[in-house]
Amino acid sequence: MAIQEKTNRQLFVDGILSENPIFKLALSMCPAVGISTSVMNGILLGTAVLFVQVCSSCTIALVRNYIHPKIRIPTYTLTIATWVTVIDLVLAAYVPVAYKAMGLFVRLIVAFAIITMRLEMFASREPVGKSFWDGMGMGLGFMFAMMVLGAVRELLGQGKLLGFDILGFGPLLYFVLPCAGFVVVGLMMGFFNWIEVVYNRRKEA
Amino acid sequence: MKEIIKITFALTISCMIAASAMGLTYTVTAKAKKHNHHMNVYNAMVGLLGFGEENPAPSDLKFLHVYRYIVEDGDKKFLGYMVPVEKGSEEAYEMVLMDLEGNFVEKLEVPISAEKVEEDLDRAKALQEVLAPPKTFSYADSSVVATSGGKRLGYVMPGKFPGFRTFIHALVAMDPKFELLGLEVMEHEEDAGLGKNIEEEYFKNQFKGKTYEKLQTLKVVKKPLPVEYKKYLEESKWEEGMFTEEDIAEIRKQYKDADIYAITASTISSKAVTDGVKILAKKFAYRIGKLDSVLKKEEIHAAF
Repeated sequence: MAIQEKTNRQLFVDGILSENPIFKLALSMCPAVGISTSVMNGILLGTAVLFVQVCSSCTIALVRNYIHPKIRIPTYTLTIATWVTVIDLVLAAYVPVAYKAMGLFVRLIVAFAIITMRLEMFASREPVGKSFWDGMGMGLGFMFAMMVLGAVRELLGQGKLLGFDILGFGPLLYFVLPCAGFVVVGLMMGFFNWIEVVYNRRKEA
Repeated sequence: MKEIIKITFALTISCMIAASAMGLTYTVTAKAKKHNHHMNVYNAMVGLLGFGEENPAPSDLKFLHVYRYIVEDGDKKFLGYMVPVEKGSEEAYEMVLMDLEGNFVEKLEVPISAEKVEEDLDRAKALQEVLAPPKTFSYADSSVVATSGGKRLGYVMPGKFPGFRTFIHALVAMDPKFELLGLEVMEHEEDAGLGKNIEEEYFKNQFKGKTYEKLQTLKVVKKPLPVEYKKYLEESKWEEGMFTEEDIAEIRKQYKDADIYAITASTISSKAVTDGVKILAKKFAYRIGKLDSVLKKEEIHAAF
């Protein structure tokens, strides 16, 4: 596979752009549809995912040679669940302000496909250093996608961005409702694919 | 067979490592977490009573907890109120038992200190001593009486009611005449941009100043919130000179008996909160009335 030859920097950039978890890999669509109603939600959930992804990736990369291949999925779930619990408890105890905003999101992460998938595809085969950068790229890529979705939905649905009133009115309440999540994700996916096609065509020419 | 043993062993070891990691973190963080939660509730209660930066709370402000228990003795059922009582300079606690109609049955001294009383487990332990089997007891709820200088400032009731998604945890405060002092939404999982607006000032401040009589018939109306009223409700966004004293008095008078304006596209959440507040306030007013009359009749000197 081509993954082997990638440098750390490439891994990092790929996670954000050409292998973006939501727009390219189409993983973890539930939060993408359910929670991306505002930019702030995107940032908070993105931060939480970033932490859990990086911590879990490093842990699995560390112990990758000792995991019994038949129980690797339960081991991943266990690792993610442990990190989620630890982060949840630490935030609640020492950063109550962040916990108030993020607590709910952190607990949701256990069921995210993107983290398990990255552990299976990458961290269980690669050394810690590379897994770290892959985790960073995926986490930030997820955050970026959630922020883009959040921005579109918040602006069109509530007329706000990051909680600041931009338009002064909400043009279409529809964009706040869950069903609009699918529409926006679809449109965005198409948009990013289109950019890639155009970019590649220019490169060839 | 050998394979399965190997897998079981590996999985058990992984689980144990994970469990110890979680357990360790919990032990280290438990105290700080509890403290944070406690401070959160305390600050919310102080805020609900109308104290803040400009109007600091009096130094002798006290929050006295009243714990309500259901006590069963054979097939007889009693209500037990654990109240703080005055006994010299120390604070002591007494369990006041009454039957379901609110007639006094018995009072029991509960051996527990003021520091320990807020801990569910410590309280249960102390109660076990005075309410020995065959009597059984189960915790129902608690409410808080705020006092300052021996006078009641108000009541705060923590409550939990079903919202659109999951339960909404809230604090409702009333003054001694059962007029609503305010509502604070502590925890909820309503949707951003929709039900989440229950935590916005323009919604929760609508409850402020509703009288007990009005509360009986309080409804949710699906009408747009008047612009002027919305500005008035969003207290934290007030600018200097936006409202004169007369303006405020005028708006208060105009909307004193207004129903609750529903949040756009979140009627269910709005209704859930309104109903929750109504039920909480009604039940509490009824219970504290019964409790007060028993305390007075039996000459129990409660600390509030």
